Formats: sequence, structure tokens, C-alpha cells
Amino acid sequence: MTDLVDSMLDLMRRLPPTHVEENVSALVGMCPDYADDLLGSVDQPLKVMVDRDTGKEYLACDYNRDGESYRSPWSNEYDPPLDDGTVPSAKLRKLEVTANDAFDTYREMYYEGGVSSVFLWDFEDGGFAGVVLLKKSLSPTSATEPSGSWDSIHVFEVAERGRQAHYKLTSTIMLSIVNRGVAQSTKEDTVEGKRDGEVSLSGSMTRQTEQDHTLQDQNSHVTNIGRMIEDMEIKMRNLLQEVYFGKTRDVVFDLRSLEDLEKARRQRELQKELVGLIKR
Amino acid sequence: MDATERLQAASKFLLQSPPGEINDVLNDVRNIISDDDALQAGILPALREYNLAQFTTADVPGHQHQCIVSEAARVEGSEESEEPRDRFWDPRSRTSFRFDHLALEASEPEPIEPDEESEPFRLALENSSLTYISAHFHDGVTSVFSTPGNAERFVVQVVANKYNPSNFWSGRWRSEYVLNLADRTLEGKILVNVHYYEQGNVQLSTSHTVSLELPQTITASNAAASANKILALIETEEARYQTSLNAAYQTMGDKMFKALRRALPLTRAKLDWDRVLGYKLGQEITANKGGFGSS
Repeated sequence: MTDLVDSMLDLMRRLPPTHVEENVSALVGMCPDYADDLLGSVDQPLKVMVDRDTGKEYLACDYNRDGESYRSPWSNEYDPPLDDGTVPSAKLRKLEVTANDAFDTYREMYYEGGVSSVFLWDFEDGGFAGVVLLKKSLSPTSATEPSGSWDSIHVFEVAERGRQAHYKLTSTIMLSIVNRGVAQSTKEDTVEGKRDGEVSLSGSMTRQTEQDHTLQDQNSHVTNIGRMIEDMEIKMRNLLQEVYFGKTRDVVFDLRSLEDLEKARRQRELQKELVGLIKR
Repeated sequence: MDATERLQAASKFLLQSPPGEINDVLNDVRNIISDDDALQAGILPALREYNLAQFTTADVPGHQHQCIVSEAARVEGSEESEEPRDRFWDPRSRTSFRFDHLALEASEPEPIEPDEESEPFRLALENSSLTYISAHFHDGVTSVFSTPGNAERFVVQVVANKYNPSNFWSGRWRSEYVLNLADRTLEGKILVNVHYYEQGNVQLSTSHTVSLELPQTITASNAAASANKILALIETEEARYQTSLNAAYQTMGDKMFKALRRALPLTRAKLDWDRVLGYKLGQEITANKGGFGSS
């Protein structure tokens, strides 16, 4: 029998990404013993929270959660407050602050808006891991305008080896675009009628990479991870472009042909005949 | 969750299956429920609902073509059958059959007579629709149904599927048009689903509704010419829709995609991470002093 978690993950790869939250919670209800495996492996859209101290927005996910509370990267405080919430060691928190500042700049340069958050946690063997989160949403100003959201989740593990460090990065990007009011009637229509429609493109893609980079000091981790994530996002943005707007479109045009297939068939036959005549 | 709730949750999963992946979803669900007897009995309503809504196709017993199994294909009042809800018919071959919603197979074929009054017009629509799908769909199936008790209402259904599991994608086009000669209306609906799942899960889901008034030239008495005109209307509408979809792709792929995340920053260069950290500030000042054109 196949592993239960494998079946749950396979299911999540097939069901509509637009319903990921309700489907995950249904699965957790069905198999409560596997809740942690599932919540740790299925990426869900990031929630935007507001830091109580600074008023600055941050992102909430499984990685900055302790019980029902989420830790803000700006104030290092949990919301709702926790007295004994897990926080990184002083040394790692210093790096976390630097990383948050750096990715805030990165976010502004590439996203021109949105929210970013970086969370780090210590490993018992001396290494550490972290997650870089980026989210941008576009809400429509009218009923027929498109809406969309982009969620990046970059999880990495770091192992220091002298003046070198080994980085393992797993990146997931969730992208969703909904276009309402597609193909509505216009004045140019020859046959008058009422029309309405909606187009929704949504989903996620995941990629991994492992790299070694040199270290000058602790801050080198931020520049190393920064470059890796920047390269990964550029690569994945191209991939998303190809899959979302290329491949899915090609499948539609493969299902239904705009051109008359019969006419094309007759054309080919005619051409074959002509070629035959000329050869003779 | 008790056993009933678990089956309800499983049924919801099945109803969300992407094109051509119902068996994969069923396999996962089977593993999760791990009670085959309860599963088999409990999910039949969901399988039936899914098959009818998705215009599942069946090989008509004793014939070389496929027909659509949908709500419109249901045989009314077949009392002799044990499962009256699962008897459907193919008007094209005048065959009724029992449909197995798990195996997706038609069996127990029986001849069935169509309604005499509406059959000439239905047949004309069917002929035009068959011509239409061979002109625009690579693997299209169409069925045209009359309405019991209403000789002026017809349902034209079209479905086209492409499954390519080795390349991790599948797609389905469904369209349905309800023609009402008495009200002089043509109400249509187009639904497209595409799933791409190589190292990810990306889905396109579209819906489109259209409501047209029938031109005066379409009349019940002039069946062949009217049927041709109706399918010409459908052809125009579907071409129009495909073109609009192309435009929507353009908007989403250019404007929206760029507004969410730029390909590169405004500077058209990748970030200088050392500078982002304010790290090599000293070096930069030195470089600027010796640089050309720096202000």
C-alpha cells in the first residue's frame, strides 16, 4: 500500500489550487494524525499581518507560528502575545534583522509594493535554516478588472564548513490571476446578445537547488542567499510565464482549432494530388 | 470526523478532479479512506454527479461512435430498470444503455424510439453539429437531445478531451446550447479546464455564458437550413470566445504578470547585494572618485 502522506500530497497536486486551504483542512480532519506532515509539505497562500509595535505588515505561515500566534520579523514579538514563544538565538536574530532589511529592498526593487518577511531558526548541530517570504496582491478597482496574487516561499538550510557554506534552497511560487468580464458583448458584435465570463489561472510550482558559497562574515549568508533567491525567482518567473500563459493556452487551442480543420484537410489532399500530377 | 463525514469529504475531492484524472484522485481517496466497501457505496453519488457534469463520453454498444452521458441524456421513466437513474440514451443510434459510473462503461443496450414530432429537427441539428465538431475539434464528441414533452426545445452538447499524462497535462472543453424555438432563444455555456502538473499544479478554469436571440430566418419547419444557421451561430460564438480568451491571456501575461513582479528592477540590472547590505560602501566611494561621468 502506498504511503498515506504520498496519497495526500498526490491529491493536493491534482485538486484545484484555488481551493487549497479548504482541501488541506478537510484532509487534516480526515487524518488528524498526519496534520503536521501535511501542513509542513503543502504550501498555502501567505496571510498578511500587521506588527502591533511598528504598524508594519509582515507575513504569516507555518514557519513563524507557535501555537495560535505568529512572530513578527520587525519587533520579534508574537501576536497574540506569547511569554515563552520560540525566538532565534541573539546571534541569529541579528542576522535575521539584516536579512529582513535586505529583502525589504529586494521586494521594493522587484515587486514595487507587497510585503516581505524573513524568519530564521537555529539547528541543534550549529547550522541554521530560514524562510524568505514575499507576497504581492492586486485587487481590482472595478468588477470587470482582473485581480491577482503572487506568493513566494523560499525555504533554505545552511551548513557552515569553515570559510564555506552549503545552501539547500526549495522555492515555491504560488501565482493566481482571475480575469472577470472576459468576452463580454461589444458594439462590434454582429449578433446581439448577453455575455459574461471569467478566466482563472492559478497554481504553484516548486524548484530546488543546492550551492556552495564562500563566507567572509555572518552577513555573507544574506548576500549568498539573496543571490540564490534572486536567480531562482528570475528562473521561475520565466517558467511561470511559459506554463501559465504559454502551455495552458496551447492546450485550449489544441482542444479547439480556430481554423476549419476540414478545410485544412482538403487543402492538404489537394496539394498531395497536385504534387502527384507534377511528378507524373 | 466520523465515517459519513469522511465519505462526504472524499466525495468533494472527487468532484474537483481535473480532466482525465478521476481515477488518480479515486486512487488517492481510496488510500486515505482505506475502507473499500464503505467507499464504493458512499462515493457513487459523487461519481455520477461528476460524470454527468463533465459530459463523460461512452462507447455506444454495437456502434462505432461515442455519445455524451449527461443529465439531458437520461432516459425518463424506465421503470423496468433496477437503477432508473443510470439509464441513458444515444439519440444518434437510438440506443439506450446502462452506464457504470465507476468503470465508465455502457452495457445492456436496448433500442429506443425517439419522439416523432421533434426528431426531424433534432436529426438536422445533429448532422450540422457533427459537421461542426469535425471542423473545429481534434477529438470532439457531440450529442443532440430533444426534450420530453416539448418538441421545440433541444440541447446541443459538445465535449473535447486531451489527456497527456506522460507530459503532465490534460484539458477539457465543454459547451452546451439550449435552443428554444418557441421563445426564439439560444442559451449557451462554454467551460474550459486545463491542468498542468509537472513539478507543480497549475490550472486554467474558464466559464462563459451567452444568451442570443434567434434570427427570423430560423424556423421549425425549415429544419436543415435552420440547423445549419444555428451551428453557424455557435461556430461564430465559439470563435469569438477563443479570440477573447487570447486577449485575456495577453492582459494577464503582460500587464498583470508584470504588475505583480517585474522581470528585472527599474535599473534593468540584478541587485548589487553587497551594496544592499551597505557593506562595501568604502570601496564604492573609491570607485566613484575614479569613475567617468560620475557627478
